[in-house]
Amino acid sequence: MRAILAQRWGALVLFGVAAVIPIFVRDAYFLDTLVLVLLWGALSAAWNIAGGYAGQVSIGHAAFFGIGAYSTALMGVRFQQSPWVGMLVGALLSLAAGAAIGYLSNRLKGPYFALSTIAFSQVLLIVASRWRAFTAGSEGLPVPFRPGFGTLGLGDVAWAYLILVVALLYWGIQVWLEHSRFGYRLAGVREDEDAAQALGIPSRRLKVIAVTASAALTSVCGTLWAQKVGFVDPFYVFSVDLSVRFALNAIIGGIGTALGPFLGSILITSLETYLRATLSGVKSGFTGIYLIVYGIVLILVVRFVPEGLSGLTTRLRARWTRAQA
Amino acid sequence: MLSLEHVTKRFGGLTAVRDVTLEVRAGDLLGVIGPNGAGKTTLFNLIGGYYRPDEGRIVFEERDVTGQPAHAIAMLGLTRTFQIVKPFGSLSVLDNVMIGALTRRASTRQARADAERVIDLCGLGPHAAARARALPLALRKRLEVARALATQPKLLLLDEVMAGLNPTELAGMVELVRRLHAEGLTLIVIEHIMAAMMRLAQRIVMLHHGEKIAEGTPREIASDRRVIDAYLGEEFVLAEA
Repeated sequence: MRAILAQRWGALVLFGVAAVIPIFVRDAYFLDTLVLVLLWGALSAAWNIAGGYAGQVSIGHAAFFGIGAYSTALMGVRFQQSPWVGMLVGALLSLAAGAAIGYLSNRLKGPYFALSTIAFSQVLLIVASRWRAFTAGSEGLPVPFRPGFGTLGLGDVAWAYLILVVALLYWGIQVWLEHSRFGYRLAGVREDEDAAQALGIPSRRLKVIAVTASAALTSVCGTLWAQKVGFVDPFYVFSVDLSVRFALNAIIGGIGTALGPFLGSILITSLETYLRATLSGVKSGFTGIYLIVYGIVLILVVRFVPEGLSGLTTRLRARWTRAQA
Repeated sequence: MLSLEHVTKRFGGLTAVRDVTLEVRAGDLLGVIGPNGAGKTTLFNLIGGYYRPDEGRIVFEERDVTGQPAHAIAMLGLTRTFQIVKPFGSLSVLDNVMIGALTRRASTRQARADAERVIDLCGLGPHAAARARALPLALRKRLEVARALATQPKLLLLDEVMAGLNPTELAGMVELVRRLHAEGLTLIVIEHIMAAMMRLAQRIVMLHHGEKIAEGTPREIASDRRVIDAYLGEEFVLAEA
């Protein structure tokens, strides 16, 4: 209980700082990083609903991200619709795809489920990169920029606050999962499906709901990302790298905790942005070096804080209390 | 309350449960005994909805539940524990039992109150905050019972909740089962510990190679020739006498 309270305070501080930054900082590069930290955090939070709270570890969530990104790009370019329509279309498509993947999780367990999610994202990559007439194929698709909130053509500060609201919302959904009847029962399904069924919990339905919600929330962020970046590249939005990033942020930060995905994102995103900026300019041979650092961080976390960074706050607190006594 | 009519379950060439007919009345405490591999746990899996019988019918409170999913059967008020305990390992004892209580409760606050009551009843009070995984076996067996009880069952199936306990723990568990029965719960109990079974059960069913070979009061069972030959052995009869 005390551990959970510590994490709630942590979240308050974290989102509070994020809310204050745009008031004082006008540096576009810094605000960009803030948006990315929050956006990747929100995406990991969406992943966490399936991978952490429901225990259905997916390595194919880029599929839903890509669906969201392509929906807004295609609705904008081909049908002259607003990004909000694109977001809705993407979310609906992801609901359907998520339900299918969720249904699959009742047939395939553990690694087999994870592999099937990768396969699904790769199938979408092939479709997006080959269907030239509609998706512009492997060249990718520019997302039309029209200034205004209705068309999601926003300034840096507006972006920061919009993504902050989304991040808070996703964090709130996770907190709800830790306190609600649905969340408790879902935890039971994650821990032991047979035992959950003996208690009257329709485990299959709960898993499908969790995976479906996770997919739709991922898709919404995919749309926002596409609008922010302004270009959709099939080899990026459907990449396994991206799927791994969603999972990794949550694992490093603390899987199945509300704050974990955001802590993981702060560490990984800021590290990556910093390393890219400082090292890529030095020599072209250094471009991939952030991946090595990435790997080292992962090893260190798994070795020293296997329960994730959010576990670290709990542990430090325990040590502090002991020192007081 | 529960009746099995000619229930058969085959796994490939092996018939795990063969043509078993069984009647459990409200307020019964039925014991199920038999050597390892006799089909006792398979019987529970059939009743609980984990396996679908190849033949026969299972009726619970005048409702045909044959082939219904486990969670639907649990909602009707028929639940079970597992021989190999299945705690929600990374959750606390209280959360474990709360998840059971939430089956009948819409609010977590009410469910927590229910869970606390059941935890006290099962003697888990001092361990409510402990992680389920960290509990010793005896307490995990109690947790298994507590979690099932929290769903407010009418009929509870206990699968070897006394196995692996030391004499003190065993006495405590016998006492708990007896108390639940006295409070009106109907139970079917699988157990190998005959001493406990003789004291607890009103009726005992003996399974052997998947077939019901005997049924009767504990006294009748203990003197049944087929039961002695297949399961109890002569030493038991001598010791009892």
